[in-house]
Amino acid sequence: MTSKETMPFGVTAASRQKQKPPLRGWQAAAIASAAVLTLAASGVAVRAADPIKIGILLSLTGNFAENGQQTLTGLKMYFDKVGNKAGGRDLQLIVEDTQSKPDTAVTKARKLVQSDGVAMITGIVSSGEALAVNAYSRDSKTPLVLSGDAGVDELTVPGPLQNPYMVRTSQNGRSVASAAAEWAYKNGWRKVVTIGSDYAGGIDVHYSFAQAFCKAGGRVIQAEWPPVGTADFGPYLTNLDRKADAVVTFEPGADGLRLARQYSDFGLKGKMPVMDIYGGLVFEANLPQLGDATLGMYSSLLYTPMIKTPENEAFVAEFQKRMHTLPANEGPNGYVGAHAIVDAIDALHGDVSDKMKFLAALRAVKFDSPKGPISLDKYGQVIQTMYIRKVEMVNGQPQNVPIASYPNVDQFWPFTEADLESFKYTYKDSKDSLTDCAHILAKK
Amino acid sequence: MTWLIHILNGLAFGMLLFLLAAGLSLIYGLMRILNLTHGSFYLVGGYIGLTVMQFTGSFVLALIAAVVVVALIGAVIERFFLRRFHLDELPQTLVTFGFLFIFSDLSLWIWGGNPLMLNVPHIFQGSVPMGYYSYPYYRLFLIAVGFVVAGGLWWFQERTRLGTMLRAGVDDAEIARALGINVSLLFTLVFAAGAALAAFAGVLAGPVLSLYPGADFEVLIFAFVVVVVGGLGSLRGALAGALLVGIIDDFGKAFFPQFALFTVFVPMAVILVMRPTGLFGRQ
Repeated sequence: MTSKETMPFGVTAASRQKQKPPLRGWQAAAIASAAVLTLAASGVAVRAADPIKIGILLSLTGNFAENGQQTLTGLKMYFDKVGNKAGGRDLQLIVEDTQSKPDTAVTKARKLVQSDGVAMITGIVSSGEALAVNAYSRDSKTPLVLSGDAGVDELTVPGPLQNPYMVRTSQNGRSVASAAAEWAYKNGWRKVVTIGSDYAGGIDVHYSFAQAFCKAGGRVIQAEWPPVGTADFGPYLTNLDRKADAVVTFEPGADGLRLARQYSDFGLKGKMPVMDIYGGLVFEANLPQLGDATLGMYSSLLYTPMIKTPENEAFVAEFQKRMHTLPANEGPNGYVGAHAIVDAIDALHGDVSDKMKFLAALRAVKFDSPKGPISLDKYGQVIQTMYIRKVEMVNGQPQNVPIASYPNVDQFWPFTEADLESFKYTYKDSKDSLTDCAHILAKK
Repeated sequence: MTWLIHILNGLAFGMLLFLLAAGLSLIYGLMRILNLTHGSFYLVGGYIGLTVMQFTGSFVLALIAAVVVVALIGAVIERFFLRRFHLDELPQTLVTFGFLFIFSDLSLWIWGGNPLMLNVPHIFQGSVPMGYYSYPYYRLFLIAVGFVVAGGLWWFQERTRLGTMLRAGVDDAEIARALGINVSLLFTLVFAAGAALAAFAGVLAGPVLSLYPGADFEVLIFAFVVVVVGGLGSLRGALAGALLVGIIDDFGKAFFPQFALFTVFVPMAVILVMRPTGLFGRQ
């Protein structure tokens, strides 16, 4: 081993000699013997001197750039907090931009693993990228800690996408939708209209909502599916079934901002309450732009910057210093991902060479975070608190004030894993059956 | 009552499409340039308006600033880049395509990735009650602005000296040049005016559609649909196409929601089959 390891020194010295005056004999001898002595020490000591390389894969340009930037800020905030050290070793972060494209994400993942030699990959904003990088992680046996928005449910349940090298510390689609359904029923709503962004994520979220709402005893009486990028929600709003108790939405990005404004413009604010799953309408960056249009809107999410805990208040203050805006869920998700990684490395005293041991350590983490208490289930999916929020004026600014919370929500709640497996249909068969509780709750 | 709302909605959206498509059509009519940077002019114009509005609180100043700055950008692009490829369609289109990407990244860098919404100017805040619903004043204002701009452009083309020169240039640039018209200057002016119209549309659309990375590409598609329906190079065509597309899109989404993704494209497909040059296009 020693002779092998000293090879690079020999090569470097030889190549330097071409440009610089040759080393004197005693200098070369001293360098060579120092190198040999260092490398002759135990293998562990050598490895401890190297940093652990962590690949961060995020959308820093393109459609999801803002999500990527906020996640990155959250990750860096925690790594900075521990001085970029864990388990006695330095942490070296290598950040790559996926440009919000799944194919670029895989190319960059391959670059991180094969040429940078990272020990793990974290980040990932879009579900498309998550599916692509998840497959690469499984094939290349690279630990993957999903700490970005990517919430596609199938990644963390037994099935074709399951990957023993992956854990997810951020979120999943079902839990946020289920919390909305539980609270909606408890609040007395029985008939709702859904306005859901017409793509796999939107259908998945609304189907999860309908499952939990039907189970509780409510019903979706009308399901509207505006396409992604709908400029004008006028036709959908004027078509609403007015017998409904409330409107339930999932509209991320610019669609959410537009729907929030137009809902108020068309005079529906105050007439029909809104439950906004994932808070796309009442997104923190939207609130100051919308004046009082969002006042009174309900939303469900795994976070709100208004959580009154010391962890969260410190987090929000630091995040605002770095990003000049209030965090939505991305910042805390990144922060929690970094915390889980650091705790797992600490538990192994810095030796992450055994990947299965490292993944077991990741699944065993348990800590308090800005989001609330965090732990992971046996599939590596995070168990965390769900918040119901309501937009109220706080110090003259509209804010998402928490009005209810559901602690320790796992990815199957309010069902069990067995319940979900016993259902005959999945969201893929059900876009046109959202109003049919018999279809939704049918057993195999 | 909901019918009236649907019609008003279609008109308001149609007028935004008209403002967007008019510039594209004008430029193509005279210069035969398929200007893909048009989407950037819209987005950058909107963003400039937003910034000016944040600092001054004035919607009028926001409109003026956006129009002036983007017109200058347009003039520079025409003078120093497009001119090198006079009447060479493919290189011209590629140059405008390149600028589309450059502006897209620049605006992401300057204004960030979050969708941003302009404030509705004070006098147009609020809504008219209409049965269960209400209808925002600002959209009624958009409809009015659309008609005023359409009338103004028509007057300019038909009744002014510059408009006559423009029509001469469209009909036959060589003869127009021989008659002593400074066609080269005309090209720059028209390109700048087309860019300014897009910026104007960007600011006006800001309070309704919001501004965000990728909006430049989305509106470009809308603008193309409108000019395909109306006929490239024709102002009347742009107006007719925009209103038709706006109204069909609104009613399509309301009554055939399962086809919502392509209600905008239905009129285009039908027109392309029946009349490939568009409603008012020339061979």
